[in-house]
Amino acid sequence: MAILEGRNLRKTYRLSRRNTVEALKGVEISIESGEMVAIMGPSGSGKSTLMHILGLLHAPDPNHGPAPELYLAGENVATLSDNARTKIRARRMGFVFQDFNLVPTLTALENVLLACDYAGIRGKQAKQAGLDALALVGLAERADHKPAELSGGEQQRVAIARALVNKPEIILADEPTGNLDSDRSAEVLALFRQFNREHGQTIVLVTHDSEVGEACDRVIRMRDGRIRDYGQRTATAATPVMAIPAVAATA
Amino acid sequence: MRLLRDLGRRKLRSGLTITGIAIGIMALVVFGSMANKMNTLISGGSTYYKDKLVVTIGSQISGNTQPLSIATVAQINKVDGVAIAVPGVEMLISDSTGMSMGVTPMITGILPGADKGLETFKMDVAQGRYLEITDLGSPVVVMGSDIAAKYHATIGGTVNLRGTDFKVVGILQPTLTAPDQEAIVPITEAQKLYVETLPPLVRSKLEPSEVATSITVYPKAGVLPETLKQRIDASVPGYTVMTGKDFDAELGAIGSVFSAVLFGIALLSLAVGGLSTVNTMAMSVAERTREIGIKRAIGASRWRIRREIVAESAAIGLISGLLGLAIGAALTYLFNDMGRSSGNVLFLLTPQTAFTAIGFSTGLGALAGFVPAFGASRLDPVTALRYE
Ligand SMILES: Nc1ncnc2c1ncn2[C@@H]1O[C@H](COP(=O)(O)OP(=O)(O)OP(=O)(O)O)[C@@H](O)[C@H]1O
Ligand SMILES: [Mg+2]
Repeated sequence: MAILEGRNLRKTYRLSRRNTVEALKGVEISIESGEMVAIMGPSGSGKSTLMHILGLLHAPDPNHGPAPELYLAGENVATLSDNARTKIRARRMGFVFQDFNLVPTLTALENVLLACDYAGIRGKQAKQAGLDALALVGLAERADHKPAELSGGEQQRVAIARALVNKPEIILADEPTGNLDSDRSAEVLALFRQFNREHGQTIVLVTHDSEVGEACDRVIRMRDGRIRDYGQRTATAATPVMAIPAVAATA
Repeated sequence: MRLLRDLGRRKLRSGLTITGIAIGIMALVVFGSMANKMNTLISGGSTYYKDKLVVTIGSQISGNTQPLSIATVAQINKVDGVAIAVPGVEMLISDSTGMSMGVTPMITGILPGADKGLETFKMDVAQGRYLEITDLGSPVVVMGSDIAAKYHATIGGTVNLRGTDFKVVGILQPTLTAPDQEAIVPITEAQKLYVETLPPLVRSKLEPSEVATSITVYPKAGVLPETLKQRIDASVPGYTVMTGKDFDAELGAIGSVFSAVLFGIALLSLAVGGLSTVNTMAMSVAERTREIGIKRAIGASRWRIRREIVAESAAIGLISGLLGLAIGAALTYLFNDMGRSSGNVLFLLTPQTAFTAIGFSTGLGALAGFVPAFGASRLDPVTALRYE
């Protein structure tokens, strides 16, 4: 079953009256539930823009031609209000960005708990889930550290813990390993793979790194605002997809 | 507490903003307390003078009265509508009090019981007793609460008033108005002290028992003080007759000046404090653009972002308010303590004033947060994330 399905996705940035950038020129995409997909392509090809639309951070442009369509687990989400999109992001998605993922004044645990709070989970239950998520990424003993006291790789793992804490259906990561050396980036990637395997979470990774791409089930290649290659699912993708059990249980 | 951590990020800037508002609030507290004091003084006087007339030569309010003859009392008693006229002797407690803004400490000579129960202004005794008719001729005194403290008066002890020792027989409860600064003595004793204050040439012609400085006139039931004033003017000319309305007219103006000053200060701190809070919050919002982007991306609603910023801004206001109130309260306490000896008890910090000051600064903070908060909540999460 496709968890994310888009058609006629366009995005034009309007810098001024004359100067516009067509970042997405009509994209059609389908991502299966439980898939771990990499989106690759040259700089400026529209990878981040596509991820923002798939993650409901931006709405696709209402086209002149065929209307944009975007389905999340079969539900049309192309024209939702900002509030409705925010709610879906809080409850059903997890995000990891290239850098500046964390709120600098909050500890690692508090950063993770932000996601719980926004999803409406508070108190003891949230705290336990937060600690479990930090334990999963191997940072249990760093729970009370501020971001400035953590290495780049550790910060990225805190961000991953935050993306996972609500056991979302989908995790979207925009160059999560972009600032990490190859050892750290292998660690982070292994974490994603673990959750994907163990809990069947759908993972969409935007990356420049072909090693990261190779570790995924499928690589979607973009160029110039269009998808050029939808990629082939590799053998690893055959892993059966389970329902999402409690992440916390594994701690 | 997260909120305080955010404020602590830019300690100097938050500190300066808080100091700025705190100064405004402090001024508000100090002037508010001053206005409170003025208003209680004035309303105390207004209550006292409401149902009676005071006959003097010269103005009683400014304290420039001249001696009048006790024979006048009999003349006034004959005027139709007068229930009773009672002589009194008032003088400064000492000549060296100088300029003062509050109530000047006074020696008041009274004829105990002469009002025949018509006096409605109640002065309650805290310790000892009030003056009685049998005290006439004896050097005894009932001290007002402020002045008792100043003279360290104790029941049975003595205080020296204008060179004469008086035995303290009573100390009054605070009235928050003029009697707090009065030493009340039998009229006979006040007359003796009073003539000593007059120039020798005047003094030599006067018999102490024949002088008074004021005559308090109680109208008969149903007689308007204003009507009585006209009758006294007509049948006993040459005196100043003051009614409660005259008192209100003269002192009401002072009250409104104070209210105007207070309003001006409030307006000023509103402008200064409000704008500097807007500035502070706008700067911290700008600094935190990416952070706001992250929060929005992972699911913080616009409302949440707005709430966080308004709460932080309100906290600035609240902290400023508490600080300003603390400094203001300390100042009014200090000034009152310093001024007590000269009668300059100028400040009355009421709970209302305190709560108003805190509420005002907190509200101001919250209000100032709305503009930056609205801006922050409108940020597009993706744009905010890309912000450098
Ligand atoms: N907010 C924006 N305003 C204007 N132009 C934008 C904006 N965001 C992206 N663009 C432009 O849209 C195009 C696609 O950008 P996008 O960020 O999606 O590329 P990308 O594939 O993620 O590139 P990179 O690998 O460098 O991150 C680029 O030409 C970019 O300059
Ligand atoms: Mg990008």
